[in-house]
Amino acid sequence: MQQKRILIKDTDLKKDRTRDFYTAFLTEIQDKKLEEKVQLVRVSDIGIYGKGLTVRVLPENFLYCDVETGDISRIVSESVVEGRPIEALLHKPDDKQLRLVLRNCGLVDPESIDDYIKHDGYQAIATILEKMTPEKVIEEMKISELRGRGGAGFPTWLKWKLTRAVEADQKYVICNGDEGDPGAYMDRSVLEGDPHSVIEGMMIAAYVIGATKGFFYIRAEYPLAIERVNRAVTQAHEYGLLGENILGSSFKLDIEIRLGAGAFVCGEETALISSVEGKRGYPRPRPPYPSVKGLWGKPTVINNVETLANIPLIMLKGGKWFSSIGTEKSKGSKVFALTGKVKNSGLIEVPMGTTLKEIVFEIGGGGIAGKKVKAVQTGGPSGGVIPEDFINAPVGYESLQKLGSIMGSGGMIVMNEDDCMVDIAKFYLRFCVDESCGKCAPCRIGGTQLLHLLEKISEGKGEIEDLDRLRRISRAMQKAALCGLGQTAPNPVLSTLRYFEDEYKAHIVEKKCPAGRCAGLFHFSIIEEKCKRCGLCFRNCPVQAVSGNRDQGYLIFEEKCINCGRCFEVCKFEAVSRG
Amino acid sequence: MDREKLKADIKEIVEEWKTKEGNLIMILHKIENRYGYVPREVSFEISKLLDVPLARIYEVITFYNYFKLEPPGKHTVAVCMGTACYLKGGAELLSELEHILGVKEDETTKDGLFHLEIVRCLGCCGLAPVIKIDGKVFGELKKNDIIDILSHYTKQNGQMVSGVGSEVSGKP
Amino acid sequence: MKKLTKDDLQAIKQEELKKETANWIKVGLSTCGIAAGAQDIYDFLVEEVKKRNLGVSIQRCGCAGMCYAEPLIEVKVEGMPKVFYGKVNKETAMKIVEKHIGGKILVNDHIYDIRSSQ
Repeated sequence: MQQKRILIKDTDLKKDRTRDFYTAFLTEIQDKKLEEKVQLVRVSDIGIYGKGLTVRVLPENFLYCDVETGDISRIVSESVVEGRPIEALLHKPDDKQLRLVLRNCGLVDPESIDDYIKHDGYQAIATILEKMTPEKVIEEMKISELRGRGGAGFPTWLKWKLTRAVEADQKYVICNGDEGDPGAYMDRSVLEGDPHSVIEGMMIAAYVIGATKGFFYIRAEYPLAIERVNRAVTQAHEYGLLGENILGSSFKLDIEIRLGAGAFVCGEETALISSVEGKRGYPRPRPPYPSVKGLWGKPTVINNVETLANIPLIMLKGGKWFSSIGTEKSKGSKVFALTGKVKNSGLIEVPMGTTLKEIVFEIGGGGIAGKKVKAVQTGGPSGGVIPEDFINAPVGYESLQKLGSIMGSGGMIVMNEDDCMVDIAKFYLRFCVDESCGKCAPCRIGGTQLLHLLEKISEGKGEIEDLDRLRRISRAMQKAALCGLGQTAPNPVLSTLRYFEDEYKAHIVEKKCPAGRCAGLFHFSIIEEKCKRCGLCFRNCPVQAVSGNRDQGYLIFEEKCINCGRCFEVCKFEAVSRG
Repeated sequence: MDREKLKADIKEIVEEWKTKEGNLIMILHKIENRYGYVPREVSFEISKLLDVPLARIYEVITFYNYFKLEPPGKHTVAVCMGTACYLKGGAELLSELEHILGVKEDETTKDGLFHLEIVRCLGCCGLAPVIKIDGKVFGELKKNDIIDILSHYTKQNGQMVSGVGSEVSGKP
Repeated sequence: MKKLTKDDLQAIKQEELKKETANWIKVGLSTCGIAAGAQDIYDFLVEEVKKRNLGVSIQRCGCAGMCYAEPLIEVKVEGMPKVFYGKVNKETAMKIVEKHIGGKILVNDHIYDIRSSQ
């Protein structure tokens, strides 16, 4: 008998009995005297969640879910010894992920151009230079229906076509690597893990529009990404893949790197252009669009990292292949940074049309600590929350917009019952207020006013009319702000209001924060029955709001209390209540 | 700072970038990397070498969060306030740091050892909540881990962390 | 260095394919991996493999996406399935060298993904 392996993992979300089953399997194996031929392994993750004890038998790759102790003997004798599957327990593994953009991440050595070439790197641009006109490339991109992955979803082919059509002595291509959404790191991962595919994407874009100069604009907070891109650009120059007469053609392109310096607004394309020029990152009204008047007034294409990483693959495999993946209006795949209150945080890539539920529960393994998932946030500070009721929604540009959020660049944050929606809206809004460049009044003043209202509500000083004020200011900002930052800044407020108005009302009417996050609404008191009169709260209170002594017990005076929560934290007997 | 040495250093940095378009931010990055902040005399020097008004340089420095006008502490403690870190307790880490160090965001301890700052997102959301001290990231932190991490740095410098911030206080 | 032509690209590809080894370990060295200590593991593995003369090539790669399991390494040894080990500290790395590479036995409690092809 060939070497067999049994992998086991208890996928129950509440308790892990892997070790108990391990002993049971081991006994069975020893009884059958199979120790030499069978190896039993406890694994940490088996790719399946909430399906009880899960067992995989190798090399046959039988996968069994919801295995009971009574099944163990059968699995060993039938599947391991005889190599037959047990139909009743069999589970069909179904890989939800599809790695296109991340095809090389975790595979190639990002510091070696040869390794990239080994995995068909620079083949797409070579083929294009040999036998495709720019028009033909645009045609192929049109068939692929690739849309910008930075968030807005503008068709990439059209952007290229418009820029190509403008006559100019100089054109530019810029890679937007200013990944500002806090909680998202798709672009960092691609730049760190596969920088050459982004360079190749830029080369194709430059060839199509007729640019001879390209810029990477990367956040300064990503030192490793900058280092890897720098190295990759140098290597490409050394190989003559950048510079003059690339691959024996007349095509030439130089690429340089420019760094961001910690300003979220620079992700907006006109502000980004200003920043690449070495100036303050102020946005300006569009039109004229960068395709007409961009960097130093010249026609410019700005594509996001993920968009560019898609391009060599589309050119290698064909637009038709790409458009066969995804939904009617959103083609291909999308990378998400799945984080927050989810078991497996990480970077995932799925075909468009995959549901949020599949992402959170089947890939992400569901919520943490057995707590109920309350909402999923997409699109960062420009996006919105999608409540659990709509978790069957498929990902796509239009489908998420319909729900009041956006696809965004790919941040996906899972929230649970411990997260307060007023607090979340406040968090995002504070971010946008901090990052507002101050140029236009709707964003500068509107944002601050919204934040004041939210602060008021979270401190328990809100009035019911404030909800209407929030809506009115939000709508004004959406209509009147100059750039994307200001226009989308109210989205987190509007979407939390749309789905969680009850929570706002609880703060305003009942003066309560259901999730227990808003410190301004806490009332601390000592539960006499639980109190052991140890005096820890008394000694730790910074404002002497706790009075009493070890004989008579302690009391908290609300007038003095500053809601710092110190007493609540230090109490070892859960005798301080917060609510 | 030795004035002649400083001038030579700046000249070297500026020369490398002088002919490139949109060079100001890149030059400031190099300066910041070398000195930890952008000293006023350096700005004067850049203004002369590049032939741009000083106001243009300050306009850029003050717009971007990354550039500092004051020297930071010996160690920069950056608390991540990305969404994932915030949800998992980043704010509690910040208040614990403020409590222990006795400074607020963007301040340096009196002894010049620690500079406390907030960063947007370090891109390590899988390890949330995280803080970064100089180049090193510490992940999956609990409030109680902070004191141990800090004392590691104070020991290097032969000092003790006070624990309540009586010995260290904020700079005006 | 001379400028590449399309044929040179092919030549490099073939050359690189020839260099492929049967036994290798890939260490995810992106920001999240490094933050979790992957650089130390990389250095440790390089050292250990050299010391024991194991004939395993240690390679660097980007993020495989499983950030919750960093540091993450992928191990391929002839006659064994391809395995992703996660939350690898030095102790686990040592076990992987001794058991997985040395004894062709999978290491308990650290496998995050396994590819069945043997």
